[in-house]
Amino acid sequence: MAESNEPQAKATASVSSSGNPTSSLSRVSKCPETLEEGKRSFSDDAGFARVQPMIEDWHQPWLNGVELLEDSNHNKHFLPTGYEGIDVLLGGGLCEGQLTEMVGPSSSGKTQVCLYSAALVADKHFGVVMFVDTCNSFSPKRIACIVDQLSSSFSGEAKERRLKRVMSNIFCHSVFDIFALLDVLHQLEFKLKQQVKSGDTKICLLIIDSISSLLTPVLGGKGSEGRLLMVSAGIILKKLANEYNISVLVTNHMVGGEGGILKPALGESWKSIPHVRLQLTRDQGSNICNVSILKHTFMATGRTAKFVIHSRSCSVQDGRGR
Amino acid sequence: MEIANLPISPSHRAKLLSAGYTTFSSLSAVSPSQLARDLNIALQEASDILKVVSDITRSESLHGGNAILKGAQTAWDMLSEEQMQKRITTGCDDLDTILGGGIHCKEVTEVGGVPGIGKTQLGIQLAVNVQIPVEYGGLGGKAVYIDTEGSFMVERAYQVAEGCIMDTLDKFGHHRKVILDCQEQMQPNSFLANIFYFRICSYTEQIAVINYLQKFLAEQKDVKIIIIDSVTFHFRQDFDDLALRTRVLCGMSLKLMELTKTYNLAVVLLNQVTTKFTEGSFQLTLALGDSWSHACTNRVILYWNGNERHAYIDKSPSLRSASAPFSVTSKGIRNATSQCKRVRMM
Repeated sequence: MAESNEPQAKATASVSSSGNPTSSLSRVSKCPETLEEGKRSFSDDAGFARVQPMIEDWHQPWLNGVELLEDSNHNKHFLPTGYEGIDVLLGGGLCEGQLTEMVGPSSSGKTQVCLYSAALVADKHFGVVMFVDTCNSFSPKRIACIVDQLSSSFSGEAKERRLKRVMSNIFCHSVFDIFALLDVLHQLEFKLKQQVKSGDTKICLLIIDSISSLLTPVLGGKGSEGRLLMVSAGIILKKLANEYNISVLVTNHMVGGEGGILKPALGESWKSIPHVRLQLTRDQGSNICNVSILKHTFMATGRTAKFVIHSRSCSVQDGRGR
Repeated sequence: MEIANLPISPSHRAKLLSAGYTTFSSLSAVSPSQLARDLNIALQEASDILKVVSDITRSESLHGGNAILKGAQTAWDMLSEEQMQKRITTGCDDLDTILGGGIHCKEVTEVGGVPGIGKTQLGIQLAVNVQIPVEYGGLGGKAVYIDTEGSFMVERAYQVAEGCIMDTLDKFGHHRKVILDCQEQMQPNSFLANIFYFRICSYTEQIAVINYLQKFLAEQKDVKIIIIDSVTFHFRQDFDDLALRTRVLCGMSLKLMELTKTYNLAVVLLNQVTTKFTEGSFQLTLALGDSWSHACTNRVILYWNGNERHAYIDKSPSLRSASAPFSVTSKGIRNATSQCKRVRMM
């Protein structure tokens, strides 16, 4: 029987990795009828021929290592956060094409890092920053303060103009549930697709502060829909990051784990999604924050650094008359 | 914008193209039934496609096709908007200073502290102060007071309103004309009439009222502050499933965030304290746990410093950590009476 079906046997042999005679035999005995069936439906359904090119179009072209390296050298830059400690720790800052997550307890400096990076990236002409705000924590006033600090060498009119330019390059969108977030991400993807063709100023940093407050109300319980929503948000974020060379920064909070020790929220299935995971802590009543790497694509975990959140008062605000 | 990158299913896209619909203008005049016939699809699907197309052409004409995202605002526009905003004064100058002028609209502020420190007093004070007419430099708004503990005392609110009116009139004593204009508003009774009071007796009622607020606020556009006194009370008892509690609370906080943005108002949540065992010692922290600590934009902790009441900014995206003394007088929240009035910055 095996000999009579020689061609099929060869075909299956390439599929079965071990070449175990009994397993290939059992496959062979099943093979003819399935192939027959396949042939019949193939010839019957002329639509398949029309669909096939579409399926082939659908998948991405393959790349080899050299091309990947070239892509990462040309398109995946580091965006500085502005905090020297973090930038040194990460070898330059937030990497484009990657999803970076910051976890930390309340008031540990997560939002400050987000606001500072937004201001710096918009200031250094890297591109447009998109800020998705879920806890009303986007403070334009704080951004104005940071820009004021950054442009201390300028004065008067030039400073004002610079402030306007930087702040016009930061877009903020308030989102209060996970479905709205998915909607925003789909819209964004659609816009980016167009932009790739028309070549407008590109979005280079997408910040979601905080993603966990959207996910906590839907997570847990008996159903798994919550986890599904979480993972699909993660997949879109990573896709956007990779295809359009965006650096995505999300924040996550911490919950009490076993023995009262704090651990990042959102659980195990989220843990595998971000490329880079940083943990922030701050001592009560001081400006000094500690940052440590919990996960990184190419760096050792456990390294730590310190940075200082400046709380200089904002002169530009008080002086501006409207 | 081309047919090729319409956000519809690939099979529909292919059908559109193969039926000869290659531009948007070719789709603009076609009816759903005709499209359904041409593409050999269901009528519903055809009308969905046309809806997507009309949405996109409309948004393109609105924003010139280059707006990054529908509903997004630039930081510059938001800054100008924020500078136009008035703050709700607390009645204590030092406290206003560290808060950047008072309680901000469009933000959720959490106030916590030990029993008797003056949380409810601050709540009542804010419900009154929000009503100071625009002519007197206030917001001229109304207040929603959600009382879960039954600690709102209307006699006290009357007292505070009287005190507030007296002090405001003192401050504007030389503007005779203004006083005549809003004589009617500047009566304690009209202040009380503009506080909408909800008494809540269980957490289910609390969730229900927060969901109802959406509708209530759409009718009462003047409401500028929502005070929940306290957000904690019912969630600290008869709640066995802590994971469920976290979910419900987070959902509630998102609702409140949305309300502040949509109706441009301030939300003040009063919270109780609890002890937490960290690093070998028991410390006072706010109740409801770590997840809840992310539910507010700003957090103010009230505490005793010797015999003096102090407020401390514990969390804020724009304000620096600072503390200031305040006192609770018969008129309401006022400056600390002692000699040391200086605001201590940290």
